[in-house]
Amino acid sequence: MPKTALVVMVHGSPRPASNKEMFRVVDVIKARQAFDIVEVGFMECNEPTIKDALDSCAAQGASDVTAVPYFLHTGTHVADDLPTLLDEAQARHPNIKFSMGRYLGASETVTEVLADRAAAVRG
Amino acid sequence: MLPEGYHIAMDALILFSHGSLLCGAGEALEAHAGRLRRRGDYSVVEIGYMNYSVPTFPEAVARCKDAGATRIVVLPFFLVPGYFVSKSLPEHVDAVRPHYPQIEFVIADAIGFDERLADALIESANHPLGPDAWRDDLTAAARGCRANPECPLYATPSCPRVPEPGTPVRIAVE
Repeated sequence: MPKTALVVMVHGSPRPASNKEMFRVVDVIKARQAFDIVEVGFMECNEPTIKDALDSCAAQGASDVTAVPYFLHTGTHVADDLPTLLDEAQARHPNIKFSMGRYLGASETVTEVLADRAAAVRG
Repeated sequence: MLPEGYHIAMDALILFSHGSLLCGAGEALEAHAGRLRRRGDYSVVEIGYMNYSVPTFPEAVARCKDAGATRIVVLPFFLVPGYFVSKSLPEHVDAVRPHYPQIEFVIADAIGFDERLADALIESANHPLGPDAWRDDLTAAARGCRANPECPLYATPSCPRVPEPGTPVRIAVE
């Protein structure tokens, strides 16, 4: 049975508490059961690394791995560094299909969240 | 014309963002600002950057004032309430406040946790891009080229203004 995997690619923070909200979002993703495997990987500061998260999906028998950047902006991480990590994973695991989703900030859903945050203080 | 001292209440919204040296990095934020304008909840929606990008936060406040704002909601375009949101943002607001005694400033929360972010990530994963498209955001960066020598793409093959000799320009900018 081919397994699907989602890897949430996160910047990471020297202040681990900064990842708290992200982990809650990932818990919701897991509860939605849209993927057999859900992993988090960090660019810097925290572990597991994105490389380890991608390799872990392979070790768990994933046939399709989609990685999505938990980033608001297209900095060089999203535009270049994350694709390089995926290129390298593809080279290590030629039998797995790796894909990348658009970064979180590109989603129209974020506009709705922003509108609600603003409305909450408007009174 | 209202008598002196009377103002029509008008709310403006400023999306407060860090700013980036990378040209084109503001594209997603500009799209959010556009959608918020179309929603029409605020008479004015501006973006105000802390560093590198324009308009700066004080410029955004001036635009809101010129449009007649009596209250400005400052909304952090940040995922978490870290240093920039809890420390820098209030400092930026405190710095402009004395110049606009007639305007009330209200600071909103950072994006933080929201179930809809999970749906957004699943939706993104359900429309996956193959390797050919993984670096499309570099071309988007070229689209927003400001010919800034500090941009990480400056003088690389991805820069439309200063291509390396013999390198075809990937994107023509006006």
